[in-house]
Amino acid sequence: MSHHAPAIVERRLWVLPALAGTALICAVWQPYAPDAIDMLNRHGAPTLAHWLGTDHLGRDVLARLMAGMGRTFLALGIVATMCVMLGLAVGLAAASTSGILRGALLRVAEFASVMPTLVVAIAIVSLLGFDAVTAGIALGLGAWGPYALLADGLARRALSEPYVQAARALGGTKSRLMFRHVLPAVLDTQLAYLGAKLGRIVIAYAALAFLGLGADSSRPDWGAMLFEYRLYMFDHPALMLWPGFAVVVTCAALRTALGQDRGARVPASSGDTAAALECADLHVHGAADNPVATGVETARRTG
Amino acid sequence: MPRAAIAEGLRALLLLWLASLAAFAVVRAMPADPAVLSLVAFGQAADPDTVAALHREWGLDQALPLQYAAWLGDFLTGDWRRSFKTGAPILDEFAKRLPVSLIVGFGGLFVALLAVGPLARGAAKRPNGWAARVLDAATLGAQAIPAFWLGCLLLWFFAVELRVIDVLGEGPARYVLPILIVAFTGLGPLAQVYRAGLAEVSRADYFRTALAKGADPDTALEAQGGRYARLGLSAALTAEAGWVVGGTAVVEVVFGLPGLGTFLVDSIAMRDYFVLQAYIVVAAAWMLAIAFVAAGARHLLDPRLR
Repeated sequence: MSHHAPAIVERRLWVLPALAGTALICAVWQPYAPDAIDMLNRHGAPTLAHWLGTDHLGRDVLARLMAGMGRTFLALGIVATMCVMLGLAVGLAAASTSGILRGALLRVAEFASVMPTLVVAIAIVSLLGFDAVTAGIALGLGAWGPYALLADGLARRALSEPYVQAARALGGTKSRLMFRHVLPAVLDTQLAYLGAKLGRIVIAYAALAFLGLGADSSRPDWGAMLFEYRLYMFDHPALMLWPGFAVVVTCAALRTALGQDRGARVPASSGDTAAALECADLHVHGAADNPVATGVETARRTG
Repeated sequence: MPRAAIAEGLRALLLLWLASLAAFAVVRAMPADPAVLSLVAFGQAADPDTVAALHREWGLDQALPLQYAAWLGDFLTGDWRRSFKTGAPILDEFAKRLPVSLIVGFGGLFVALLAVGPLARGAAKRPNGWAARVLDAATLGAQAIPAFWLGCLLLWFFAVELRVIDVLGEGPARYVLPILIVAFTGLGPLAQVYRAGLAEVSRADYFRTALAKGADPDTALEAQGGRYARLGLSAALTAEAGWVVGGTAVVEVVFGLPGLGTFLVDSIAMRDYFVLQAYIVVAAAWMLAIAFVAAGARHLLDPRLR
């Protein structure tokens, strides 16, 4: 399977750089300072100067949405990097060892999967304070578990494949085996799984910002804006619409680029990881004889 | 089998113990002193004597390992301590609030399941039919629309524009919208898994054989593939059910429901140590319990495991 093109190549991948580019521009430039208050222009209607109008403090809604996009993608990048790196490190380490160390690594990964992501993230965010970076770290710490279990299952399966056995028989060192043969096979599925989950991460970040937890509401996060603007539901419902639209459009675009999140079908490589995988909203088919090829192919098709 | 069951039980206990340790560590690492926060909340001056007295009363003046051991002992014997904020026993508070979260969570899953069967069967039979379209739209919607935004929109539409639902009133009516939102988020993943299972069976040789023998397609699909598809569905349902105690917080906050989620958010703001510790352990125990039930269900549905 290492000879196949990565699963995500088949998708409409141009959407991804377009989104990231937009996010980058939004992060560094906004038409107005996102927290510039103008009390003479409260609840302004959309005009040429303020395309989406102004909010209850006269702040430019478009500028706040743009700053929010930059922050969302910063958090998204952190979560994605953490999930893949931690997942690969722990998963491959577990797959290449045995005995107590392997057991310990898998228990830690299971534990990370069992804890509900949002609860872990809420606790960590209240520890570190809320901004895009800490929220990204918090969500990443809450979400990496399944990636490690996935990597372990796939890597162990790959290690028993005939071509990897052949490479080992030819005298390949363990690290070479891991990097040349196992890593590509694991990374492929790992990225496909991550791609399908990106939309969920965007929503989780918005949910965390929505809950706020005592942080000041001047942060231009989409979730925090929703929390703030929902109080003006009666008189100015349009305010509440824009941040939600921003989340929906972003998630829909991510799905167009990377496929949908139907849950990768992961082989239940061993009974002990299956339970934890299910908790981590992977849809495991319980049969132990489910070949990994099916899992990989399903992941290719669905995300 | 008994040995495997014992090992499984020990593993669950180990995970729970780890959860309690992590809960204690994370909660105590949070900056800000609950005694100071409480005094401020009650409009009292936070002078050092009063703070020290509160610490003594709550047992926070002991060394951390001693505090942990004492709390764990109390927790296991059913004394979950009292909330700093309300002064009420935490166990009672949980018993009062858990049903609210369960009604929203399981009510939503139940409503979703009602729609899963017809939609998935229709979509499996006709990949381009209306059921498939509705299902795909619902799946995309659930992945792209944040539940709390949907909640705000529904509140605005039904309570502000139409004035048909008294959302802030007591009574069963206030559960309608939250349950529908949970159903909406759960429908897509559940129905897609069920549909995929049925579609897989409908492509299998043995299903074609059944058709060749003259079986009615609907009956044959249920007879040949119903159990297989429900096996997949039970796994998906597990993932969704794990969400009930961890994930309804935002929906509860939007609708002001007195469930566990709102309790969690309030308690974090007040650094209500024992509430948070109890919550994290309960959430982990819930996940394990769901996984256990799911394993049992798989055992019943999958003859290969017997």
